[in-house]
Amino acid sequence: MAFTRHTRTVLALTAPAYLWLTATVLLPLAAMFYFSFLTASPLGGKEVRFTLQHYADFFTKEIYWYNAWRSVELGLYVTAICLIVGYPAALGLAKYVKGRWREAIFLLIILPFWSNALVRTFSWTMVLREPFNILFSYPAIVIGLVHAYLPYAILTCYISLQAIDDSLIEAGRSLGATPAQTFRRITLPLSLPGVLAAIFLIFVPVIGSFMEPRILGGKDAIMLGPIIEGQFITAFNWPLGAALSFTMLGMVLLVLLVVMPFLNRQMARA
Amino acid sequence: MSHFALSRRSALALMAGAATFGLTGRIAHAAGEIKVLNWQGYGTDEKWALEMFEKKTGIKVVHDYFNSEQEMLTKLRTSPGTYDVVLMNNIYVMEAAHEGLVQALDTSKFSNFNDLTPALRDSDRFVMDGKHFAISWVWGLTSFAYNTKKIAVRPDSMEALWDPAHAGKVGWRDDALESIQIAALATGQDMNAPADIEKIKDKLKALKTQIKTFWSSEDEWNKYMAAGDYDIAVYWSGSAARSKKAMKLPVEFVVPKEGAIGWFDGLTIAAKAPNPEGAAAFINFMVDPEFYVKWDNDIGAPASANAKANAQLPADALNRTVLGDPEVVKRVQWMAPISDEQKQKNQELWDEVKTSFAR
Amino acid sequence: MERAAKTYLGLILIFLYLPIVVMIAMAFNRSPLYEMPFTFDLVWFKALAYNQRLLQASWNSIWIACINAVTATTLGTLAAYAFARYEFRAKRLLQILLFPPITIPWLIIGTSMLIFFFWTGIGRGLHAILLGHVALSLPYVIVVVGARFANFGPQLEEAAASLGATPWQSFWRITVPVLLPGITAAALFAFAVSFDQFVISYFLAPPGTSTLPVEIYTSIRKGFTPEINAISSIIILFSMGLMLIVARNYKFGGDN
Repeated sequence: MAFTRHTRTVLALTAPAYLWLTATVLLPLAAMFYFSFLTASPLGGKEVRFTLQHYADFFTKEIYWYNAWRSVELGLYVTAICLIVGYPAALGLAKYVKGRWREAIFLLIILPFWSNALVRTFSWTMVLREPFNILFSYPAIVIGLVHAYLPYAILTCYISLQAIDDSLIEAGRSLGATPAQTFRRITLPLSLPGVLAAIFLIFVPVIGSFMEPRILGGKDAIMLGPIIEGQFITAFNWPLGAALSFTMLGMVLLVLLVVMPFLNRQMARA
Repeated sequence: MSHFALSRRSALALMAGAATFGLTGRIAHAAGEIKVLNWQGYGTDEKWALEMFEKKTGIKVVHDYFNSEQEMLTKLRTSPGTYDVVLMNNIYVMEAAHEGLVQALDTSKFSNFNDLTPALRDSDRFVMDGKHFAISWVWGLTSFAYNTKKIAVRPDSMEALWDPAHAGKVGWRDDALESIQIAALATGQDMNAPADIEKIKDKLKALKTQIKTFWSSEDEWNKYMAAGDYDIAVYWSGSAARSKKAMKLPVEFVVPKEGAIGWFDGLTIAAKAPNPEGAAAFINFMVDPEFYVKWDNDIGAPASANAKANAQLPADALNRTVLGDPEVVKRVQWMAPISDEQKQKNQELWDEVKTSFAR
Repeated sequence: MERAAKTYLGLILIFLYLPIVVMIAMAFNRSPLYEMPFTFDLVWFKALAYNQRLLQASWNSIWIACINAVTATTLGTLAAYAFARYEFRAKRLLQILLFPPITIPWLIIGTSMLIFFFWTGIGRGLHAILLGHVALSLPYVIVVVGARFANFGPQLEEAAASLGATPWQSFWRITVPVLLPGITAAALFAFAVSFDQFVISYFLAPPGTSTLPVEIYTSIRKGFTPEINAISSIIILFSMGLMLIVARNYKFGGDN
């Protein structure tokens, strides 16, 4: 065989995961992409033709592009709040809390993963009602989603923060840097991989969320996620749903392309 | 209406079925068993009724559910030979009959057949070429119900939903067709062919300050009403009866002067039903007064198509006092079948209205 | 500073647990409509014992989450190892290929899987749900384990190799133990991703088969009783206990 031992090892290590991903994600997406160019679902034996109409609809009909923006906006809000709230928590946990306390708090932060997201969202309808009276509003959606994704932010930031060698920080201090300077020059840049991971883990699911807006948002629930769901579940217009899905995907990539170079630069500077 | 030749596009039909998460019941039919396809909690799955039926006939009843009528059709298309009894809104029966999904019925097998209200029983939505494809089961209305503890004077107009006095206290169902039909009624139009769509759109947009939140199921409606989120809300007559009786909520259903949306459901037997005899026996049991009266009394039900059954209800039952009133029935507009193109247009209109809510 | 950190974390925990406490409390409230005033009753736990659908769905969820955690962690750790310790031409491409499962909202992945599984005859069912969950978990595992790798150079393994260990031996004896906090975190992550996953399961569950989130969703649409709260309470208390046992045996959170 032409494969070197090195290549064979790499193949053996990566092939299982990648064959799995190909069969369950990449090929299905290709099928979906094909659908987005059809005039109708090939259901009921209708004449099916190739069309760009669904993509044209997205840009010409306000209900689609405006609600797409609403989805992106929601994703930005939730991601930003999760990081602003979660990063200090991760920092505190990684650098200022020690021993069994750290273990206990860490455990408590990841435990909510184990309660079902639907039930937690539903529980918020009870909490937000009486004293706060903000149920069925945009803030309610944001609170519900921040609650769902905050542990992701804390977890990923924590993993990269606790990996930073304390002696680096000590060294910075002994060279006369203020705590703010050491944070800005050492801690923050070194923890950016965690921040990046958090952005991925939060922004993407939030932009496609439809359950939380439905349950908590009342009249403010409409965005691209619920509309796509409706195309698949209620209206049965698969091709339009597929086209809207791929447009949403394009937006996700666009936003990440904007964020990535910035973070890369920060990491490079560190 | 689309024609189906199953052999040609079985693969695609299967896919489509997949989308609706129905299908491929690999369910073995035991002797003396029937499989019913219906909405959950809609009469056929009452536990006491199934026990009663099994005691009478020895037939065990198994259920599968759908969440939308499209899903029901797709389940039938993709799983022939799985279901026996299928509940269908009248507007879908002819589509199913044309596609060969349901079978023509021998009406002599239904001892209650002659007691069914002829206008429903022999509707052209159920009968093709002189053959019945569904047995008329229940009917009901969609308009609204209100909380009698919050609203002292019984509203008699659709305008109550737009009344500033109930701003932020109105419940609405997140459904394109129903929304458009209610707005059509409120603006005095034919709900099946409204002449002035812009008027409907503006009427719906005016709900921005009225609606508290949307409901999507009877259960959700009950919870929002119980929590005080709604003072008044769009609702279905049969569900209103259940909310009042089974859930003990202080609610009253209203058929306003502008009219209400009328619907009627039939029970069908699937084309390749494994147990058509059992299916017929079950349908006959479902339209029998013995089952229906207990259903409406204990749980709450839509109005029966069986005149005898309705007559046995207590004098104060909603199904007698309101739905049994000929003056009320005159105001009802009956829901007509709707094309796929129209469905898409309705959805876009409704999405546009909802977008205006969120601005 | 430690005090301030603890106070802040305390506030965060209150926020995280507020709805969970409410959820558990409501499992003990008699009203089926979640009405106040609170009346203590065990009726929903009793009802749960007879709710065959919910119990079966919970069982399915637990099994799928376990198998998913093992499968995804194994495959993901192998790939992460290749990324961290080998240079190869397709590396960049393979890393980019990890993105689709996380950069594409579940709604889209779920429906596309459905189309494809039907075409290929894989069909729907618990096996299909498992296929989907592993695909979703893999990138998370690779990211989390990879983050751990980033903190350890190959020096230890090189040292082992120089002492005559085969790559396989050094992998199991050195790499895995060093990575263990990352692997544990990844496995727990994978478990949670699967256990909580609703959208994909929803599209891949045939009639009569479901996982807990799918069953709950169906209930929310068609009839939701505090039995749902009861089973969620049991699960969160059970997993809390499980986590404590795990925590006794492993140092958590990557303390070294």
